Amino acid sequence: MAEILTGAASGARDPVLWNDWHVIADLAALRAGADFATTLLDVPLLARLGAAGAQARRADGAPLHTEVAYGFLWACLGAPARPLITIAEYAEAGRTIATGGSVGVHVAAPRVVENFLDLGHLGYVHVGYLGEEPETMVHPYRVGPLEGGGVLATGCKVYQPVASPAAQGGYMVDYQYCVVRPLITCLHKANPVARDAWDVIYLFVQPVSEERSIAHTLMLFAPDGTQPADLRRFQQLIFLQDKPILENQTPRRLPLADGAELPIAADSTSVAYRRYLVAEGLAYGVIPAGARVAA
Amino acid sequence: MSGRGPWVPVAASADLAPGHVYQTMLAGQGLALWRGDDGAVNVWEDRCPHRGVRFSAGDVVGGELRCVYHAWRFAAGSGACTFIPAQPNAKVPRAIHATPWPVAEVAGLVWTALAAQGAPPADLAGEVLRALPVNRPAAAVAQEAAALMAAHPALRLFVQPLAADRAVIRGLAAGVDIMAADLLLEAARRRLEDAALMEAAAC
Amino acid sequence: MLILHTSDLLAEAYAARLLASLAGVALEIRHLDIHPGRDHETDAFRVLSPLGRLPVLEGAGAPLADWQAVLCAIATRGDTPARADAPGWWRGADPAFIGWLGMARDLAASAGVARLHEGLGVPADGAALRAAAHALLREVERHLWFAERAGQRWLLAGEGPCAADIACYVHIALCEEGGIARMDYPAIRRWVDRIRHLPGYIVTSGTFAPPAPAPVRQPVRA
Repeated sequence: MAEILTGAASGARDPVLWNDWHVIADLAALRAGADFATTLLDVPLLARLGAAGAQARRADGAPLHTEVAYGFLWACLGAPARPLITIAEYAEAGRTIATGGSVGVHVAAPRVVENFLDLGHLGYVHVGYLGEEPETMVHPYRVGPLEGGGVLATGCKVYQPVASPAAQGGYMVDYQYCVVRPLITCLHKANPVARDAWDVIYLFVQPVSEERSIAHTLMLFAPDGTQPADLRRFQQLIFLQDKPILENQTPRRLPLADGAELPIAADSTSVAYRRYLVAEGLAYGVIPAGARVAA
Repeated sequence: MSGRGPWVPVAASADLAPGHVYQTMLAGQGLALWRGDDGAVNVWEDRCPHRGVRFSAGDVVGGELRCVYHAWRFAAGSGACTFIPAQPNAKVPRAIHATPWPVAEVAGLVWTALAAQGAPPADLAGEVLRALPVNRPAAAVAQEAAALMAAHPALRLFVQPLAADRAVIRGLAAGVDIMAADLLLEAARRRLEDAALMEAAAC
Repeated sequence: MLILHTSDLLAEAYAARLLASLAGVALEIRHLDIHPGRDHETDAFRVLSPLGRLPVLEGAGAPLADWQAVLCAIATRGDTPARADAPGWWRGADPAFIGWLGMARDLAASAGVARLHEGLGVPADGAALRAAAHALLREVERHLWFAERAGQRWLLAGEGPCAADIACYVHIALCEEGGIARMDYPAIRRWVDRIRHLPGYIVTSGTFAPPAPAPVRQPVRA
């Protein structure tokens, strides 16, 4: 199907993101009688609850693909090159599921993903919850490609004083991270009550413009007595601790050139993520490997 | 003012409170300033080499600058990274360091330079004025500052270009009431910024 | 027992919790989900807070749904007879104190709303709010710069901070989330640091506690 690409939107120059699905709204934010305004890849969109459910359109009337899935409204501005991701845990009986509330951040979307993958900041930015001194060492873990493209990090272990609302005291939490799309990442962490069950958190980052994004999160926790409202509050507390860090990063776009920023061994997942973005050919929200970094 | 030699004042000495990281900018480059335990001022590019977080969002701890993101520590003077909590037992690679800029502390002002030549002016005297950021380009601010100095010889003014469209007026007042001088500078800022609004409205 | 109905997302609610911690006043916290939930718009909550505002304080007479009324109740409880010789958190007879509480409201209406607009998508004219906030911050900067010159560390003359410092602090400390940079205001930045270092200081997401002093460690040779 021929898609009309308006020359005005710089997002159109990144075919990877243009032809991919992105979350544009938490269904809980939509109303029947009023439009919810947002922007995707510099294109203004309007969403609302219609007779047939949640729907969205481009403010300029050009065609738009939309889907409802996992509690969110998704949109694709171009022709979807791959289907919506599959979240197996969403259908699992008994899981406590909650959206985290969408939060705008003045930084490029890939920076938000990379922060989600980062282990070294947990004991500082999220001190008293996801880490604390003196347990600051990031123990070696394994990183490799995901089948079908993406990144998988396994064998991560972090001491967490309050890993989640259900935690009764600190413990060494097993973690896994994956990046399944350029701007979609998830983590699995051992549940405090049933340590062999995984609590899952998905992060969907909506690229508003090259230097602005909206973070949408989805929690799919093992049943441990925690209410959805408490999951949401914990997630908001944690993410809002990251927001000023993200907004104090310079440049706002993620530099992809080797040597632009200096990783250490603990940053293996982030190194793999930057290489994945290069392999995907991402051009939006990043400073490509050939360009000079402007600080 | 800013044209004589490359040294530009970017802070007052009194701005650098103990333990505090001062934030400014020079010609589009963010700068973080802080005083080490030895009293010497550090002027660094305001960007941690790890993941680009501003040093000015961090703290001075134990005479070192600690980045707010991963708590890496950076030494006064050299800017060398001295501690990485994520790998506390490993040697810190020498390639990891802050980027220091030239610094001179003269007449109660802290000066830096894009490319150090010579030294800041040696003939300065008076009390340091409150610095006023102005939403106008440095050239326009410098013009107004020159007019102020012509009318008020007790004022010695300098212009710090922040970015293309913003600049700070700094300086000293010798034997003039500081509050009176402050009112003069505030009036000058209003003239400069109102002129921009009128220009914009006329377009 | 004082009960505070609150949301961690709101600066005004942080002001209540921060002042309570600094002043040694105990609070029982009840959380509301206001994003994307709408707990503050239920009929039951409107009984407590007809305008749907947060925070709300119960247990100090009739419920208080104005954030500065909440600060007053907390501050006056903190100004115990044992602290009678200190200037006190509540200085309601000082016109300057009232003026700075007013400034805090103006900051809430500009910087505070800009922050909710940028972070939570609340509809607003961001550019106008930022311009309004900068005009206010220029005045706060001028005041604090001259205050520092006179040896004063807080908004009002006297030994310690007061509720007006806290009311202004929460909006100033979080203003960068609304696109309002603090770089132009070095005296404000130093005052923000002084508040962070107060005994009993607590963070909200978006502020950071001062780090512990450097641990003793082996020198690392590069």
